[in-house]
Formats: sequence, structure tokens, C-alpha cells
Amino acid sequence: MSVTGGAAVAGRHAIAITVNDVPRRATVAARTSLLDCLREEWALTGTHAGCEHGVCGACTVLLDGRPARACLTLAVQADGARVTTIEGLAEGDRLHPVQEGFWECHGLQCGFCTPGMVLTAVHLLETNPAPTEIEIREALAGNLCMCTGYQNIVAAVAWAAARLRERSATP
Amino acid sequence: MKPVDFDYVAPPVLEEAVAVLASAGEDGRVLAGGQSLIPLLNLRLVRPRLLVDLRRLTGLAGVRAAGDGVAIGAMTRQADAETAPLVRERAPLLAAALAHVGHPAIRFRGTVGGSLAHADPLAEVPAAALALDATLTLTGPDGVRRVAAEDFFQGFLATAAAPGEILTEIEIPACAGRGWAFVEFSRRHGDFALAGAAVVLALQDGRLGPASRIVVLGSADRCHRARAAEARLHGEPPTASVLDAAAAVADAGLEPASDVHGSAEYRRHLVRTMTARALGLAAARLAAP
Amino acid sequence: MTLHAATDGWVGRPLRRVEDPRFLGGRASYLDDLRLPDLLHVAMLRSPHAHARLAAVDVREAAAMDGVAAVLTGEDVAGAMEPLRPLIPIPNPPRTYPLAVGKVRYVGEPVVALAARDRATAEDALERVRVEYEPLPAVVDPERALDPGAPRLFEEMESNALWRDVLTYGDVEGAFARAAHVVRERFTIHRYVSTPLETFGVMAQVEPGTGLVTIWSNDQRPGLTSGVVAAALGIPQSRLRLIAPDIGGGFGNKRKAPYLIVAAMLARATGRPVKYVEDRRESLAALCHAANGVIDIALALDADGRFLAVHVRDVVDEGCNLQNPTLHSLLKLSNIIGCYGIEAVRFEAAAVLTTKCPSGANRGIGKPAMCFALERIVDVAARRLGRDPAALRAANLIPASALPYRTPVGAIYDSGDYPETLRRALALAGYEGLRRTQATARAEGRLIGIGIAAAIEPSTSNLSSYMLATRRPGTSGVGEAALVRVELDGSVRVATGNVASGQGYPTAIAQIVADELGVAPSAVSVSPWFDSHENPWMFSSGSFSNKFSGTDTGAILGAARAVRDKLVTVAAHLLEAAPGDVVVRDGVLGVRGAPGRQVTVAEVATVAYRDLLALPPGMAGGLEARHYYVSPLADVPDADRRVAVQLTFSNSVHVAAVEVDRATGAVRIAKYAIVHDCGREINPRIVEAMVHGSTAHGIGATLLEEFVYDAEGQLLTTTFMDYLKPTALDVPPFEVVSLESPSPRTPLGAKGVGEGGAIPSLAAIANAVEDALAPLGVRVTALPLSPARLWEAMTRAGEGRGA
Repeated sequence: MSVTGGAAVAGRHAIAITVNDVPRRATVAARTSLLDCLREEWALTGTHAGCEHGVCGACTVLLDGRPARACLTLAVQADGARVTTIEGLAEGDRLHPVQEGFWECHGLQCGFCTPGMVLTAVHLLETNPAPTEIEIREALAGNLCMCTGYQNIVAAVAWAAARLRERSATP
Repeated sequence: MKPVDFDYVAPPVLEEAVAVLASAGEDGRVLAGGQSLIPLLNLRLVRPRLLVDLRRLTGLAGVRAAGDGVAIGAMTRQADAETAPLVRERAPLLAAALAHVGHPAIRFRGTVGGSLAHADPLAEVPAAALALDATLTLTGPDGVRRVAAEDFFQGFLATAAAPGEILTEIEIPACAGRGWAFVEFSRRHGDFALAGAAVVLALQDGRLGPASRIVVLGSADRCHRARAAEARLHGEPPTASVLDAAAAVADAGLEPASDVHGSAEYRRHLVRTMTARALGLAAARLAAP
Repeated sequence: MTLHAATDGWVGRPLRRVEDPRFLGGRASYLDDLRLPDLLHVAMLRSPHAHARLAAVDVREAAAMDGVAAVLTGEDVAGAMEPLRPLIPIPNPPRTYPLAVGKVRYVGEPVVALAARDRATAEDALERVRVEYEPLPAVVDPERALDPGAPRLFEEMESNALWRDVLTYGDVEGAFARAAHVVRERFTIHRYVSTPLETFGVMAQVEPGTGLVTIWSNDQRPGLTSGVVAAALGIPQSRLRLIAPDIGGGFGNKRKAPYLIVAAMLARATGRPVKYVEDRRESLAALCHAANGVIDIALALDADGRFLAVHVRDVVDEGCNLQNPTLHSLLKLSNIIGCYGIEAVRFEAAAVLTTKCPSGANRGIGKPAMCFALERIVDVAARRLGRDPAALRAANLIPASALPYRTPVGAIYDSGDYPETLRRALALAGYEGLRRTQATARAEGRLIGIGIAAAIEPSTSNLSSYMLATRRPGTSGVGEAALVRVELDGSVRVATGNVASGQGYPTAIAQIVADELGVAPSAVSVSPWFDSHENPWMFSSGSFSNKFSGTDTGAILGAARAVRDKLVTVAAHLLEAAPGDVVVRDGVLGVRGAPGRQVTVAEVATVAYRDLLALPPGMAGGLEARHYYVSPLADVPDADRRVAVQLTFSNSVHVAAVEVDRATGAVRIAKYAIVHDCGREINPRIVEAMVHGSTAHGIGATLLEEFVYDAEGQLLTTTFMDYLKPTALDVPPFEVVSLESPSPRTPLGAKGVGEGGAIPSLAAIANAVEDALAPLGVRVTALPLSPARLWEAMTRAGEGRGA
């Protein structure tokens, strides 16, 4: 195929995405999803394929700061974007408060939904620092968990919200 | 579950996008947010040769005042439209409908124009556009034209956009003072609706005028104006009995199919029920401006 | 020697999980995260027909495509292996293979597998495979599948029946003859499955020099799978290395030896490693489903409402399942009397082949359906007799004083207080208040209902029970294996034959071993992966039937105690003390009454591995033990075919309050209270979360999930857009109270908990919905309780036609 388009070479496209503050490059087929690009090109396997049709939320990443389904985003669409994956959340060994909350409240069992859940929750708490239980459940309703029945996930997010509020109250 | 091989361009200017799309003919597809298209690609239910991504056309994103109404760029993300003050103020029905689209992660990527152009009969945005008497701007090789929402939706995933035409903006006329409501019923929060209703009520001298519209979704090949029901409203006062009479015929002319989520009979019932609920809410808003 | 007192120990504490940080950081290693150089990716062409003859399969064009390394057809596979062996001895057993040969028998059955440079290319190549199908009539209804004239899946078999039998325990005829009341109902059981979020997958590599086959798979039953795969590949089991990495949820579903065989064959054919990971559509259509079926149940009661006998006619739709059939039948025997003192039981079993996805293990296997039928019929009886459903249950529960209780089927209910569990659950739910609320709401025309389900949660399957169906010895009992090793530096490593898929085994094991060795759990490192060349294992190794508490604990304790004994013996030698005077605490071995005389665990380990001449004379080196635990509770069927199908018995009561929207049929769960008792809780935090998750499975199955096949055998629910899983908004907050009645029959007093919520929740909600709709006279006899189904039932009832 030889249709026009910036960097296309024989149907492959050079892209540059800043992932977890690290600039990364790859040359991918147009049909490559952001999910497959993260996992196969850059070995960032914390982002999981659960359904590949946008229902389960296991592949949720933050794309320019907002949750997005990596399975419903082509890698070429994310060219030039900033992406945060689960690998980029902790600062060294120091877990993000949402991760801490999931640990404290036993908000994970098999762990497969956890990266998507955590990133969705991180965004929720950035935009709504004191969510009610129903607001937490609504925000997480696009992320399926088959293990926990959600109860401890909801508790984990509430725990993290309290921790983050505490932190921001401390000068 | 990977798409067929295709090529991809993201032209920096609209004219180029139109030209590339026009030259690709039936093999080309517009990519907006991708939240409806990409699942179909992954399932290989859609098999394009070329995707024309509109993401670099920054001029197509944004909300502006248009007279007393509001104009929304086709590439405006659904979440941004949903929370835009102008939309909430001047087209609250659309904002309410947008809140039912998928989940936040979908709405951060999905666009208003993408949803309209995809024309899924179960989608919320087309129903709201039709109820609000929106006008859609299409830009194609032969120039720009404006199409009423009424004429835009042509059938299952089919619109009036000609090959090479790109939906660029949706304009919603002023609707201050009108009652409105969007109601739907789905198996789960965020799912496509089994049935829903978008309703606008407009008073003229204490009676419901011709701008009053009832649009139902979920039982036809496109969002559907329930004209028999509207006819029960026009010229009548917004009393409970008038609204009930309208809701009772909201399914007139519909021939829904039975599927795994319910029988045709159930869907018709839901259409009437959602319409009744929407009419009730809209009338309450009418009464309390 | 003495250990610190149990109250002082690690077992029983709600510790945070030790394994969590890597999961939280996205650094787990699931199957699809594994990489090998030159890896090829596999895709499978799957049947679009429920039943068809394969007239021609032409793969030439696909094989010639750029990027395609190898293509396998059913004929290729059949030429390279002995047929897969059906578990149930059948006259003229059919010859079946991992890929379809001659016919396809369900939508989604693999027909061709190929390996290519990436998955997308592999899927492109599948589109170039030409298959000519000659459609045959589908076999969809399990009862009609038994008709003599029904189309047969396997012409070699005399019928579609895999197993038909009648098992009678006690005087059933007498009980029904003298019964004052007999209530009967026919329940339709639907198809659903737990859908672990990670799909099934496999990666295979063949070492050219040695022929060693290494297979990585998120398989939950490596002990069973290993033999099946090695036999198919024609290699000794010693040349097959099976590794299970982190598993993203299992619930019984993740067992599919045929995929391992196909992957290994493609690795052999190409000389390169290959990986196959199901996509979601493949997983939904073809991994496994919980069997659907029909249960006709009759309950005999005396004039006082005492349950005398239960008669169950059970038709299980196995789909096209020759690999592990009859599970859904046999396991119903383990909870057929529930928590009640029913002394006579008749079970008419039929396990039937149909042209659907093979049935398979799924959280509770058959027991949720059995509990649904039993607890529903109890409500039917209560309504018939005009008794409160709570009171009728209370009158029939086995009293605590009767435990251990031998059931007519041959199981022994080990511990618990069923009446107390019910009392506590009613109190937790505020049952009396709910009834008052209901009365008020009904007067307002609202449809509010309260449902109770009392359940037995049997766990730890006794594999001898298969003999009821197979009448063939050779597999019996149940056990697990464990290795405990103190390393030279005093740190502890543990490995077992089990595979973790979210149950928190690494944490629970660390707690158990820490107590035995007198060290902190943080000093205990549990191998997160199963590796058949590293971990000790046996046939029953793996994750099924909640056996951790019944067998794994025994294996871990056995190995840990052997290590502890050696620690103490060596320490006593070094300290010149009597072994009986040695005390272990916090990683230090001291001598009672002689403060200051002590050695550390690390010092003893150093002697055991390095300073060998310091060992007691004649003692072997090392500080490691393996223990292959065999449950002493397992038996074989007796002359009357009594057998303990499962070996330990937890119990619970669920109380649900729901409101049904008359206009839409939607069900809202307003309250959900659970009181459960799984004996001693090794880690209460993990236990409670298992109850939440397990109950959510049942709620999904009750309200949302269903695999729908049409009359042609087409599966209509093949994506998560149609097969609906519950979200955070569909699962209510649970109120959970746990009672702890330690089992006198398990190594730690612990009992199973993973399936507990999934068993009673269907009945609890169904009972609540029927109660809500009682003013309309609607009967609930089928699931799921979708809005459409309820609306139609209400509408028909309103038209006076009943439901």
C-alpha cells in the first residue's frame, strides 16, 4: 500500500510516544493497537488484554492524562501522546496511594484487572478527590473484575482518596 | 482478534482528508475517536483498506456559541462536550444523553461526530441530535453542505454522507425554555440501551407546539421520531393524560426484532415506558424553568 | 520441643498478601507476558457450524503465505497421536483429537491451527483456509438428545448418553408413600461460566537436542494435564516440563490439554517456540461452560413439615464433552441434601452429549444448580404449607449436636452450627424488619421480596467418586505435595503442586510454614509458579474443588514438620541438649531453662549444608523435606454405592432483599447478607474477599449471564457485549459475618471457601424475586432473571395465564 501520510513506509508507520515519561519509538503496522504496541514493542506487559473489544477495561491506560482503552486505540493514533501505564505509577519502590489502597484493602485477587482498575481510580481521584461510594462504583463500572466482587476495590479507592486528601492537607 | 491489514493517514488539513477519503472510495473509512469503529475492526466485521484519521484537524474540536444555540465540532470528545458549560446550558438534553454513552474511558476518546456518523440505532447521541433538531455540516469534495438530523440518519449504520464527505460540525438551535429529558433502559450501566427516549417539549401559548419532539431508540434501524406520539402532543396542554396518551403510541410504526435481550413485545413496551418516563421528566422541567 | 501457642501464631491473622506488590506494579508474569526468541503465534480456525461433516479442508494457500510457518489440520494431528481418551468408559469409544476430524460438533470447535510471525498474520492466513462443511442437524436440547431417533454426535456410540444411572440411598419409596406433602418442580438450568479475565493460553518449546518439551500454560490441573499431553505427544512424562506462571483467574475453567498438544506439535513442526492465547470470542465459545440442563425435583414432607426424602432427576447437557464428563452430575451428590437431615435420596443421572461447547469445571460445578433446585423447592414447600421459609428451614436443619453427620450418600459433614448460621444471617439481614418493610411496600404496589438460601459448601473432591460413573478403579483419593527447604542462610522456600490464580496461596502458605518453623512469614518465600521439574506434585495436584484446606495444608505441614524435626535434632546436637528441651522462636532455637544457649536457624542450616561434619554422626545433609499428603478422609464406593464425593463441608446462609421494577422487569438488590462458616480461617482477609467474589459470580449468573444457543446450535452470545458480566454497579455491597467451627477432620481445621458464595446466591436471589412477585403468582423456574424474562412472566401472570 502506498497511500500518502507522513512517515508511512510500505504500510508501516514510525511513531513516538512518551510512556511513563520515557520517550519511545517504534515502527508499527497501522492495525497495531496501542495495547499490542506497549506489550510487544516495548515489553510493557502490565497492560493486559482482556477482551480486545472495549468492554472489560483490563487494558486501560492514561492517554494524555485520561483513561483510555488501549485495545480501542491504534498505536498510530497515539503518536505524539503521553501515556501512563501501571509500570509508571509507583515512584521506585514507593507505591502510589491507589496501589497502596489496593494492597491495604485486599482489592485484588488474580491481579489481571488491577492495572486498569488502578489507573481508572487514579484519574477518578484526580478529578474527584472525595467520591461517594456510588461515584466510585460508577467510575469503575467500565472495568470488569471476575475475582473480588468489587467490594474491596471500592474500599481501596475510598482508602486512597482519604490518603491523598491527608497528603494534600499536609504542607 | 486483530483487524485486517489497512493503511492509515492523519492529514493535517481538512481539504487533504477529504481528498484522500474521496480517492479511496468504498475502501476508505474515517477514524474519529475509534470507540465504535475499532471493536468492529478487531472483530473483522469492518474491513477497510484505508483509515483517514481526523485527529490532527484540531479545528474540528471545540464548542462555540452559534446564535443562541451551540455548535460542536465533530472531533469534540464526548466527555468534553458532556461537561462543556455551553452544552450544559444550551443543549442539556445532549449532555444528558452523552452521560449514557459507555463509560468514562470511552467518552474520553469517543467523539460527538463519530457517534453521529456511525449512526448506530442504539446510540444516544443521534437520538439527542434528532430530538434537538440539530443541523449537521458535511464537508466533501464538492464543498460544504448542511443536513438536518432528520435527513441525516438513513438506516442501520447508514447516513446521508456521500463517499468522501466528512461530518465536521453539529449545530443545535436555541431551545431555552423547553422541557427536555433523556431516559434509557439498559441491562447494565454503560451498555447500549434496550430502549430509550429523547424528548423535547415546547410550549406555545400554554399548549405543546410543533417543536415538541419524541425520539425513541432501540427498536428501529435508526433513531426514530415517534410521530404518532408527537401528534398526540401538538396543540394540547402538557397534562398527565396528554403525556400518557402520547407515550401509549410511542411504539407505533416500530417493528423491533426479538433477540437475546428480549422479545419484540418487550421492546415495544420498553419504548412506551421510557417515553412515558421521559415525557414526565420533560414536563416537570417545563413547569419549573 | 514446643512452639508458641496457636493464639500467638501467624495462622488466623488477616495479613496483607505478600505477593501483591508485583501485581500492583504490573510486574506479574502471566502467560501472555512470557517471551522467547523467534516466537511464533498461533491462531485457530473454528467451526461456524454446530454439527457438520468436514468434506474438505484445503490449507495450501494459507501455508504458502508469507509469514506462515506451519499449518496443522485434524488429519495431521490424528496421524501423529493416539486419540484422546474419554474419561468415561463407553462401548465403542469415539476417537477424538485436539482438532476436528471428519466432523465438527460445536460452534467454535478448532478445525485448523497455524503458526505465523504474529497473531494478525496468523488470523490473515486463517481467512485463506478453505473448508467445505456439509451441515448436519444440530442437537441442542439435552432431553431430546436422548431420543432414540436423535442425531448422534458420534456414530460409534449407541446414543448421545454418556452416563445414565439411578442412585438410591435409603427408603425413598417408603418416604414418599408416607409423606403428607410432596412438592415438585421442574427447573431449567442455564449455561454460564466464570470467564477469568485472563483467557487460556499456552507457550511451547521443543529442545532439539534432548527432545525435551517445555510447555508454559495457565493450566489449573498440571498433575492431570501432564499425563494427557505426554501421552498425546508420545513422550515419557519425564521429558515433558510443564510450567504454570501467574494465572489471571481460573475458577476451574482453565484446563484444555488439547491446546497444549496443538502448540507442542506446532513447535515440533517448526523448530521454533510457539504461543497461543485465546481471544475473548474463542474463550467464550469454546473453552468451557458450566453445563445447562434440567432438574426435576420432588421433596417429601411429613405432616409437621419435616423433610423425608428428595428425588432428583437430573439431565446434564455436557455439550461436546468427552474429556471430563459427569462432573456436573456426580458433584450434585455432595450437596443433594443441603444442610437438612434428609435421610432418603434418589438421584437419576443423565449426562448427555449435545452440539455445544464442552462443559467443564466452573466454580462449584453442579452444586450451584443443585442448591438452586433444593432451596427453591424448600420455598415452594413453605408457600404450599403456609410456613415462613426461614422457619421451615430452621425446622429441618441438621442440629449442631448431630455433627459429624453421615449423609445417606456417604459423606460426613464435619463441623458447623447450621441453625446458628441461619439465626445469625436472619439477624444480620434484619429479617423481621425486612418483612415489615415488604408488607408496607406491597400495600403501595411495590414488588419487594426476601430470599433465603442455606447451603453446604462441599470441598476437596475425592477422585474415587468417579468410580460411581466409570466403575473403573485406578484413580482414587486425593492429595497434594509440598516441598519445604531451609536455605543455607536460614531463609525458607516452599513449593507445592498447586497453582495460584488469585487465592492468596503464597501468603497463606507463608503463614502456615512460619508457624511450624518459628520464623516470620517474610522469611518464607513461596514459589509463585508451578514447574513440574521443580515442584513436587502428583496426579491430583492443581487447583480444584477448594482442596487447599483439605490437602495442601496437610502437605505443607507434613514437609514443614519434617524440616522442623531435623532443625531441632541438629540444634539439640549442637547445643548438647535433649531434643525435647529445644524451643524454636523468631528464627532462634534455644534450650528451655538455659538462656543464652541458642543457635539460629541459619546456623543450623549452615551445618546442614556446609559444615557437614558438625552434623550428628550418620545424619544426611540438607534441610529439606517433601511431603505427599493423602487425605485420610477419602474412601471408595461401598456395596451400596455410598461414597464421600467431597470431604469437607463449609456452610452458609445468604439472605437477599430485592425490588423488581414492574415496568421494566429490572431487579435491584437492596440488601445482601451472608453468614458463613469455613472452619478455621488461615487468613480472614483472604477468606472474606473470596466470599465477596464467589457471591458476585452467583449474582452474575442469576441476573445477567447466559450462553444462548438457537435452534441451529448457533451461539448468540460470543462477546462481552452480549455475554454480560456484572460490574461494580451490579454487585451490591455485601454484609458478611463469619463463624469459625474448626473441622476436626482437616490438618488445620480449615475448610473450603472459594465456591461458597457461588453456590447459594442463585437460590437466594431467585427466592427473593419469586417472593417479590408472589402477589402476581409468578413462579421462578429458570435463570437468568433478565428484565425481559421477568416482565414477560409478570405480563402473562397479569393475563391470568400463570408463568
